[in-house]
This record gives sequence, structure tokens and C-alpha cells, in this order.
Amino acid sequence: MISDRIIEQGTLTTDGSRASVEVRLPWYRALPGSCIGQAQLTIDGVEAPVDSLRWRMNGREFTFAELSSNTEEWWFPTDSAVLSGDLAIDGDAEHEVRVDLTVYIPYIIIGDGETLHIEENSTKTMKAVAA
Amino acid sequence: MTASELGTPIQGVTLYSFTRAFHGREYDLEGLIRKVAAEGYGPGLEIIGFSSFRGFPAIDDRFAGEFRDLVEEQGLVTTSLAINADIGIHRDRLLDQDELVAYMTRQIEAAAKLGFPIARVQISITPDSMERLAPIAEKHGVTLALEVHADQYASHPRILALRDRYEKVGSPYLGFTADWGATVSGFAPSALEAYRRRGASEELLAKVVELWDRYYEQGPPADQAEHGQRFGSFIGLAAQHGRSDLGIDFGINGTGLFGPARVDDWLEIMPWIRHVHGKFFGIDENGEEPSVPVRDLIRLLVENGYSGAVSSEYEGWHWNNWQDAFEIVRAEQAVQRSAAENAGSRMITDAAEARSALAAHLAQPVTR
Repeated sequence: MISDRIIEQGTLTTDGSRASVEVRLPWYRALPGSCIGQAQLTIDGVEAPVDSLRWRMNGREFTFAELSSNTEEWWFPTDSAVLSGDLAIDGDAEHEVRVDLTVYIPYIIIGDGETLHIEENSTKTMKAVAA
Repeated sequence: MTASELGTPIQGVTLYSFTRAFHGREYDLEGLIRKVAAEGYGPGLEIIGFSSFRGFPAIDDRFAGEFRDLVEEQGLVTTSLAINADIGIHRDRLLDQDELVAYMTRQIEAAAKLGFPIARVQISITPDSMERLAPIAEKHGVTLALEVHADQYASHPRILALRDRYEKVGSPYLGFTADWGATVSGFAPSALEAYRRRGASEELLAKVVELWDRYYEQGPPADQAEHGQRFGSFIGLAAQHGRSDLGIDFGINGTGLFGPARVDDWLEIMPWIRHVHGKFFGIDENGEEPSVPVRDLIRLLVENGYSGAVSSEYEGWHWNNWQDAFEIVRAEQAVQRSAAENAGSRMITDAAEARSALAAHLAQPVTR
């Protein structure tokens, strides 16, 4: 697994009320939206409200509920996705960014029909750029 | 071919070995293929569809043509396209076998279009579904080689059930991919080093090794339930030492990557082995693989007349971010070649010879 690469350095942006960061797949092969589970975006120790989180990939924005049933849009291993949420942070300042991400591995079935999931996280410090 | 004739396995590599370089955008697909050719890691070339081809399994004609031209120009030979049995693709339910057969069919068509004579398939496909896929494989000229991967192993009940069905069906298009991760002889030292770098104590690491060694002595798990118990025991061990964060990783590696079957277990399915994943995890200071018995595995293949492909499959990249995967693969292939020579044979490294040997290997009827 490649959890050290989840957060793309230098990609934190803010528009005053929302913050976003680019994230990379911590796995070796493309996965569809349905295999992208929960995410958390935490900046300087403050977690973005779960309902406010959005996921952008392949030029489209999704809620996590929309992702959960989507088997058409795939996250390719060399593409960055964008995770955003309601967090008011200062532009032009250093911030500690943490991303937690759960992905399901659709060909590994453990126990009673349960699909293996992996929970990864990464923390990086970077300067925010005003959007 | 008679059993007494020595095999000449075909050297090759899967691009999976270079996952970090591709994922890290150091090489794109074309660059990686050129690198494999330039460094002499071929001639065999294996690729994972969902890793390397954007939009897979949809492959347009123009792309397929360019890909085949590139492979030929570079003097490589496509061996296996690794395709996935994504039975858990929906969050709320598993695919039924009708859906899974359809899901696999699209990928088999992609393998044919890209010029791969073998498609590596996976364990969730039942014997019934493999039987249903046989005519589809035949129509497209693609051999289906179901991967025997830890926590399964050749003599595992699920694998024997597949073997027995293959025997009944009698199609040369149904076989297995033997993944050497099923027959590992120790917990990979490079993985232990990675845990050390994450602050795991020497005491904990010694216990992990001790636990794995105990399972090696006992042999591979009899069934899914025993596998689950072992997985849980690694999690428990981590928790006892205050490192619950490492527990799942110990479990995944200790049971799903480092399978404790013996090398000669492969004899249970040898006539149906159409492809081999030369799974390994690292190379030590003596130039040997410390936890995968590569030399014994190559000898077994040679002595049993195997002249199919062996894809070097380096999987230490999961945790080893301090050594160069390209150099590690180079060293492991040297071990393979040396082992083949010690067994009185050699590895095939010439593309034309590899192409004809692979065609003959795949056309061979199964005789026990």
C-alpha cells in the first residue's frame, strides 16, 4: 500500500469557507466510486463536517453517498482526486493537513461475503493557497 | 513432452513489480515497457489491466494496435494479462456468478485485443463458472489461468475442486497461475525492517516471526475458518504489544502474502500450471531471496518440464521505500537463471524462442 502518498504536497486551497486538497489512490489499481468509502479531512486538528465532504474525479463532483453506488467512474492510479469540505482556514499560512481514507478491495472477500477494506491516513504540513 | 524432459522456463516480469515508479509518475506505461526491454527484464511481459490501461476493460482499436506494435518493436512477448474477479464491486452485495461471468468476459475480450495469450483470473470464480468461461476463452484464444495465491495453495480444497473440474471439462484453455507467495519459507526480513522503521519493538518483531514460524511448522490453513483464526492471532499479538495500528498489516502480510505451504505442494496441480508468478519480497546482501525458496521453485518447474513463463513479481514495494525495485528485480532474475542452470537447464531470454515456447506450452494437452 502506498499510504505515504495519499496527500499531494502543496495542493491545499481555500476560498474562505471551504478547503480542498488533492489525494492519491493508496492502491495499485483503478477502483470504481463504489469502492471509495469514508473519508475525513482534518486541518489543524479540526475535522470538516462529514456532510460537507465532496469528492472530485474525472471532472465531476460527488457526495460520498453518490460514490457508494457508482461503478461507472473509476479512480485511475496516477490521477489525483480532490477532497473538499467546510473548513475556514487562513490563506497564505502553513497548516497541518490530515486525510483519512477507506477503500474497498473488490476482489478480496473475507469471511461471510464481506469485502476487505483498508483504512489509510496521512498527515502533511503545507501552505494554503487562496482559490 | 514426457515428464523426464527438463523444462526451459521463460524469463519475464510483471509491471506490478514497478508499481511505485508508475504510481509516482516516474514512468508512464510506454516508458515502463521501454525500460523493461532496455534493462533485459523480459522477454515475458505481464500487465494488470486495471493498473495500466485507463478505462479498462474498454480498449479502443487504435490503442490496442499501438500497444502491440510497441511490444513487438521492443522485443518483448506479452504473456499474461492480469484481470480481476471484482465480486465485491457493489457495496451492498456480491455479484452473482452470472454477473461475474459477464464481468470476466469483457476482460477476456480485452486480453485478446491486446495480444495476451493468457488471462490471470482469481479465486471467486467457481468451478461452474470456469466451465462456463471455457468456450469464451477458446473463442478468443485466451487461456484462463486462475491464480493460486495465499491464503490458498495447490492442495487447498477450493483449488482441488477447480482442478477436478478442469480434468472433467478437458479444455486446454483452463489452468492455473502458480503464485510463489503460497510457498514462502519465512516472514520477509524487509517487511520486518519496515515495521522497525515504524517503531515496532524488537520484542514484538521476534514474536511476529515466532508466530509465523509456528504456522509454517503446522502447514497452511486447512480452510477459511483456520485462515481467519490466524489472521486474528496477528491482530491480537499487535494489540498485546500496544501496536494495534500494525495488527491488520501483520495479518494481511502474515497470512495473505507469506503462505506457508511447501514447494512440492505445487505437484498437486502441476499439469495445469499455465503461468507462474515469481512472487518475491526482497534480495539480501548475498544476492539471494531470504524468504522465498526461488531456487527450489525453479528446480521444481525445470524438473517437471515447465516451459511456460515466469513473471518476476516483486511485492516488497508495499513497505520497502528505501531500495530500488529495478535493481531488486534484476538480482532476483539472476537467481532464477542460476537456479535453472543448476537444475541442468536454462531460462529462455530470447523473444522469438519465448514466443514459440509459450505457444507450445499453452497448446499442450493436460496429461497426468
